[in-house]
Amino acid sequence: MNRRQVIGAVGIVTAALVLHGCVAPEPRQELFAPTDAQMKIRSAQSRTFEVNDSTVVMRGVIAALQDLGFIIERANAPLGLVTAARFAEPNYYDVLGVTVTVRPQEAGKTMIRANAIYNSKPIEDPKVYQNFFAAVERSLFLVKD
Amino acid sequence: MPTTRPNSKPPRQKLGGGWVALILTLACGMCLGGCAERTQPTQFFELSPESSANRAMQTRLFETGAENELLSASAASLQDLGFQIEESVREVGLLRAAKERSAREYGQYRNRFLIWLVSLGHLVIPVDLHQKIAATIVIRPASQDHARQEVRIIFYRVIWKGDGQADRNYIPPGEQKMEMIRDPEIYQQFFAKLSKAVFLEPHSI
Repeated sequence: MNRRQVIGAVGIVTAALVLHGCVAPEPRQELFAPTDAQMKIRSAQSRTFEVNDSTVVMRGVIAALQDLGFIIERANAPLGLVTAARFAEPNYYDVLGVTVTVRPQEAGKTMIRANAIYNSKPIEDPKVYQNFFAAVERSLFLVKD
Repeated sequence: MPTTRPNSKPPRQKLGGGWVALILTLACGMCLGGCAERTQPTQFFELSPESSANRAMQTRLFETGAENELLSASAASLQDLGFQIEESVREVGLLRAAKERSAREYGQYRNRFLIWLVSLGHLVIPVDLHQKIAATIVIRPASQDHARQEVRIIFYRVIWKGDGQADRNYIPPGEQKMEMIRDPEIYQQFFAKLSKAVFLEPHSI
């Protein structure tokens, strides 16, 4: 084998190795389909209340967040959107953020969905959301009176 | 060519290093003391024992049906206190305002000098330089017929620290620190201004 042949062989092997990764993967059908885990977390983050006025619910959510020590950063009444944040006292480096959407449902009901993040990582513990909805319930009850 | 220079005075250097290490350890210990009681994420949405006291401090009731007037009077009172309005949403009665001020304090400079002296010039701790004081107001009807309004204001501040030095390591400026303002006097001052503006007597909850 002369030198040229050796270089040629090495080149072919290298090209084969490099191109190996270029085989187009089959587009997977289920890529955007909801997984079980997603469904579970979504149901933990949502709750429906028997109140027909979504503004009342929104004000209740804002009051609940304030009771929990949150700072309301943004609110949009037509879209039913509330964004709030707080830092985990006494530790002022950790930030807890939450986005709540309030959507009117059929038959005089309103759905609340909350997404919480802790230091830009989503919280997936259902217990956290249970606590949040307990606070909202309390506050809505106060508003009604 | 050698990249490091031969050390001419090794024993003295070592002594200095020991001192700095000791002081750094002490400083770290003091800083980390506050980290022990770290809040767990599950506790974030639980009402804290002091939340009702905070609520009472931050809330006043006004016997009026004019929510919009109350909202604009709140904005005016904040302006009187030097705040700039950053966000307002009339439908849910929300106002967010902020003002920026210097955060320099004599005591911090004195402590910095003392620590600098004790550490033989090796440690320059950062001091507070600048702060942003922010306020969020939410007004909502407190009764079914909208004849009574509840005004809740929350004050907090963000502080930016200056630069410092730990031995040969430069501490860059801009470290942030946030705190809620829990001084009742500040809240009383605001509500006194607001009640003067709307000619109404505020009621505590």
